[in-house]
Amino acid sequence: MRRVFSQVTKEIAQFRRDRLTLALAFFLPFVALLLYGYATRLESKNIPVAVKSYDTGTLSRAYIDTLFATNQLIPARFRGSDIMGPLDEGEAKAAIIIPAQFSREVAQGRVADIQVVIDASDVNNARVIKNCVIAAGNYFARSRDIARGRQLIVPQVRLWFNPGRDEALYVAPGAIAVILWIFPCLLSALAMSREKEQGTILQLYVSSITSFELVLGKALAYTLIALAQSVLLIAASMALFGLRLVGDPFMFVLSLVVFLASSVLFGTFAGTRASTQSAAVQLVATTGFTTALLLSGFLYPLRNITYPLSLISNILPARYFVEECRNAFVRGADFASQLYIPLALSSCALFLYLVTSNILRKMQLKG
Amino acid sequence: MQMHLERLDFRLQLKALIRKELQQILRDRQLLFLLFAMPILQLFIYGFALSPEVDRLRLGIVDHAGSTISRALAACLVVNGVFEVEESGGTEAQLARKVQDGQLDAGLIIPADLERRFRSGQKTRVQVLIDGVDANTAGIAGGYVGQILAAFNRQLTTGTQLPRELVAPQITFAYNPGLISSWFFVPGVIALVLNLVSTLVSSAALVREKDSGTLEQLLMTPVSSLQILLAKIVPLSFLLMITVFVALMVAFLIFQVPFRGNLLLFLFVSFLAILVGISIGIALAAYSENQRQSLLTSFFVNLPVIQLSGAIAPLESMPEIFQWMSLLNPLRYYVSCVRSIILKGVGLEEIWPNVLALAAYALILLSLSSSRFRKQLK
Repeated sequence: MRRVFSQVTKEIAQFRRDRLTLALAFFLPFVALLLYGYATRLESKNIPVAVKSYDTGTLSRAYIDTLFATNQLIPARFRGSDIMGPLDEGEAKAAIIIPAQFSREVAQGRVADIQVVIDASDVNNARVIKNCVIAAGNYFARSRDIARGRQLIVPQVRLWFNPGRDEALYVAPGAIAVILWIFPCLLSALAMSREKEQGTILQLYVSSITSFELVLGKALAYTLIALAQSVLLIAASMALFGLRLVGDPFMFVLSLVVFLASSVLFGTFAGTRASTQSAAVQLVATTGFTTALLLSGFLYPLRNITYPLSLISNILPARYFVEECRNAFVRGADFASQLYIPLALSSCALFLYLVTSNILRKMQLKG
Repeated sequence: MQMHLERLDFRLQLKALIRKELQQILRDRQLLFLLFAMPILQLFIYGFALSPEVDRLRLGIVDHAGSTISRALAACLVVNGVFEVEESGGTEAQLARKVQDGQLDAGLIIPADLERRFRSGQKTRVQVLIDGVDANTAGIAGGYVGQILAAFNRQLTTGTQLPRELVAPQITFAYNPGLISSWFFVPGVIALVLNLVSTLVSSAALVREKDSGTLEQLLMTPVSSLQILLAKIVPLSFLLMITVFVALMVAFLIFQVPFRGNLLLFLFVSFLAILVGISIGIALAAYSENQRQSLLTSFFVNLPVIQLSGAIAPLESMPEIFQWMSLLNPLRYYVSCVRSIILKGVGLEEIWPNVLALAAYALILLSLSSSRFRKQLK
């Protein structure tokens, strides 16, 4: 055990010496939190919509007012001759043409068609705009008492945990998980491959330390560093995004520690596979970075990932920790229902630990 | 005569250097991986993983009424696939618990007196609760609930099968009528990957000479620093144009993204984007001692550049300050050009401001970074 601890001290001393890795460990995660937390918004506000009305009646004007009554859509200038003009120019995300007979038709209780074209190159916001336009039409009909039939069954829609639909509550907990995956494994991959690149690993081979102790020492040192990173990140997101721990604190800390350990061990594993530091960084960046960002449910729901790619997400620690962060910071989920999270994470960490130590042991015998 | 010979020398030397450069890159498995395998890999993952689809939300139903109307209502909610009934029965408390634990995404609670109140023409509230953690999905799903219930009411009270509201928006989706999400992401990812690959490969190709000391050897030969730099840029731009083609092929063949615009214009803006990427790579190499340092520094550059480009999250939805910051980001203009050309099929007359900005960035960044690199050689 003493050998493990001296290994830990050595790793931390080495880590503190290099300014670039220090910045990578503490400055860049903070920048990433700001970028992901503030600049990742899936739903647009103030969407420019161009309306052209051929109708001079009051009803069409009232309808246009209803359309822009919420803060989601804002009026834009109608440029170009046809309905595609404003969209091609990129001036508006949707164009609406109200026909000349609109007021007359509505007043007489006939269906009045309105032509709407939505720029669907951004699929998500196309849906948002469509919902806005339909809701405005329905609201207009009801408020003027010209609705078809009567609205007897009224839905009372309540959005739980996030009634104001603040996207920060969705993005920030996910961002914590993704960032705490990317950077700890990057750092430990650098540390492991540096030993190989500089040949100092040979000294370790001939010393009395076993491969299991070596990996344990490295993982312990970098998990400690990762814990420092997570304290910084969580404190920052509490201050900036108003997150509060509402879930079970013990469950969160337990999941956090095993998650960080699996991240660090993944980095160590990548470091033993790569022969140079730059190769290790690239390995971690392509396999770890992209998968954590895209297959963890950070941006869009997990169920939307195409099969068989969706299978991969099941073995990604980041996927479990994204869930845990949302449970702990937003939903406040119950302890027992979350037990699968630390279980999945710790089996992943254990698996990586055994594989990495075995690879090192074999290299030792060969070398 | 002298002048003529010198010019001939310059060209011959450059040719030899370019040949050496090409051979070196094609020998390097790491660079080849970056140039051709990574774009395909990234396009696959982004294209298949990212989808803002709102469907298959797990719905729990507590039906206290247990009547024909309440069953018809539940059937209406699941008919277009937005919701899937995960379970029905149980109590409200159980339903609430399941939503809180993340086992259900939504719940529907129908009061016992629904049928009686409906017959007597009174308003009844049914409760719909949606897990709002994913604000975007929850908002769209909430909108659907409103539409589905409005249609349901019209059907019940007018007795017609598919009654339309008096104000009936006829909605068409332009550029992407099927709302296929990969059509949005794939053009953005082409831009993102091209930026990533061109910075990484060019910085690696330059810093390698520094790292291994071969740069000094090159400087002792009669070639000038301009030639050294040109010999790096020319073959790399050529190879990166092949990368663009590979990415475009993946977009066509795998994701069936339509190409509506002008191919030449697309290639031209891609060339500008490659020059921007290479300039960033040269700058990284100029400021770094070794490959490790340039690679790690690239994280500090590429993270904000990609995040503020609009490739993944739309620029319009960012806070204003980030929108202003993105004006300084050359990738932003390229992403916008690529989407406009591929999906909208618009030409230079619509996108010229973006092309101009991209060209200006290419010119400025290339001259700044190469002068910095050449200064270092002297």
